[in-house]
Amino acid sequence: MKIKKFLLIFVTPLLLNIQTSLADDAKMIKGLEIFNETAACAACHVLKAAGSEGNVGPNLDTVEGLNYDSVMDIVTHGLGVMPAFGEDEILTKEQIEIVSFYVANSAGK
Amino acid sequence: MSKNKTKLNLNRRNFLTGTATLAGIAATASVVPITIANANHSEGKKGLPNFISWKDRDALIVHSDKGIETHRSAIGESLVTPNRNIYIRNNMPTMTDAQIGDRKKWKVSIEGVKNPQTFTLAQLQKLGHETMATILQCSGNGRGFFEHKPRGSQWKTGAAACVLWTGVPMKTVVDACGGISGGAVYMTSEGVDHVPTGLDPKKAMIARSVPKKVYKDAMLAWEMNGVPLPNAHGGPLRMVTPGYFGINNVKHLGKVAFTAEQSSVKYMKKSYRISPIGKKGSQYPSCWEMPVKSWITRPTDETGTVKAGKVQIVGVAMGGTKKIRSVKVSVDGGSSWKKAKFIGPNLGKFAWRQFVLETTLSAGTYNIASLASNGADKQPELRMENRRGYAHNGWKDHSVNITVV
Repeated sequence: MKIKKFLLIFVTPLLLNIQTSLADDAKMIKGLEIFNETAACAACHVLKAAGSEGNVGPNLDTVEGLNYDSVMDIVTHGLGVMPAFGEDEILTKEQIEIVSFYVANSAGK
Repeated sequence: MSKNKTKLNLNRRNFLTGTATLAGIAATASVVPITIANANHSEGKKGLPNFISWKDRDALIVHSDKGIETHRSAIGESLVTPNRNIYIRNNMPTMTDAQIGDRKKWKVSIEGVKNPQTFTLAQLQKLGHETMATILQCSGNGRGFFEHKPRGSQWKTGAAACVLWTGVPMKTVVDACGGISGGAVYMTSEGVDHVPTGLDPKKAMIARSVPKKVYKDAMLAWEMNGVPLPNAHGGPLRMVTPGYFGINNVKHLGKVAFTAEQSSVKYMKKSYRISPIGKKGSQYPSCWEMPVKSWITRPTDETGTVKAGKVQIVGVAMGGTKKIRSVKVSVDGGSSWKKAKFIGPNLGKFAWRQFVLETTLSAGTYNIASLASNGADKQPELRMENRRGYAHNGWKDHSVNITVV
């Protein structure tokens, strides 16, 4: 009983926590793949963390106020020459969430 | 996350050649054309991108390496905005000297005229010579005031400048080509700055159609404020469409055509349309004529507290496509207005005018605003809400709060 309680109170949250961070790791790996290859964001943007040097759109390491929501918004709806990856169904919603997570956590690093 | 960063920091060469990555991602063929990776965008001195390292960093707000705004207080107290303070808004990468080649041999073709011709810059310079002042203003200037936070650079007042252009009047060029062909409704200018990117011209070419009549005021410009047109501003040759938003002043100009239809490229059909929030489409008006507008440049919240007593309230005012007629200034958030005085030379209806109101202020906080009129239209109090945050000329958002001590 004591062990069960211990597991419930201490170990479960720990496991959940690990799962979350593993999920984040997986998202970062998958996000990089989408950024550099699936969606070819790298073709048009500088992002040091991804090793990309595209020069059509803004350098993502310099964009003021860049965050998860702003990246999601622009990747979904596009802007100028940038395709609307969501509206035009170039990427799935999940792919957009992953690549936005990746960019938001990589820009400026 | 730091562990990830090390893992994910790919070597660019591996990426381009499609070899295995450190993260164990399945290698695929590179999707990146190498020609896109130009060398003019890395972060340069003073926190400015290399291609504009000659600009005054202190005068500028960097939204990104391709969206750089002039501080409200750095618009300049003389009429013409110095090149080193002028904003940057580029849809395509600025062309490099290597891509441009011999500037005198730069070519522009003229179509939709009786005798279509291609001119080199050297030939244009023999054809005619004129200097004029116009306002260059990004369609999204003032976007930063919209509450729904439209996508794009959050400009406040500084995506605008008053510029002296030297070049050949478009009318002179048209006359040299025997006049405009019948059936033309638009003047369509095309840039070539998308070419080095290798991107699909339908999506990437900056082509802008404006009503045909604009050609009578337009210029093919090769000089900006007394120096050869900098690459970052569209050198060696750009279209200047007085009274029309910046995007129509096509940079790195390769063709001007008089056409029956508007260009079918994305930048004409889809982008730069003033649509209600939540709606879009080519049925909505394009960003063409600029509306009447003004704003105060000194004192502002950027210039610190103001000493009580006599105060000079200074700003700039533009009439859009019409001559500016009057500007009123309020120091009480629009409850009462006083007529300001125009100062400095009048460089024509497409330039802005400086204005000043001398007033006496005691200690306290003030909301100061300016309201311009061109006779036909005056600035509204509120912005015209629209999806992309274009064409903002409401006076309330452009007002500033100052503290007098």
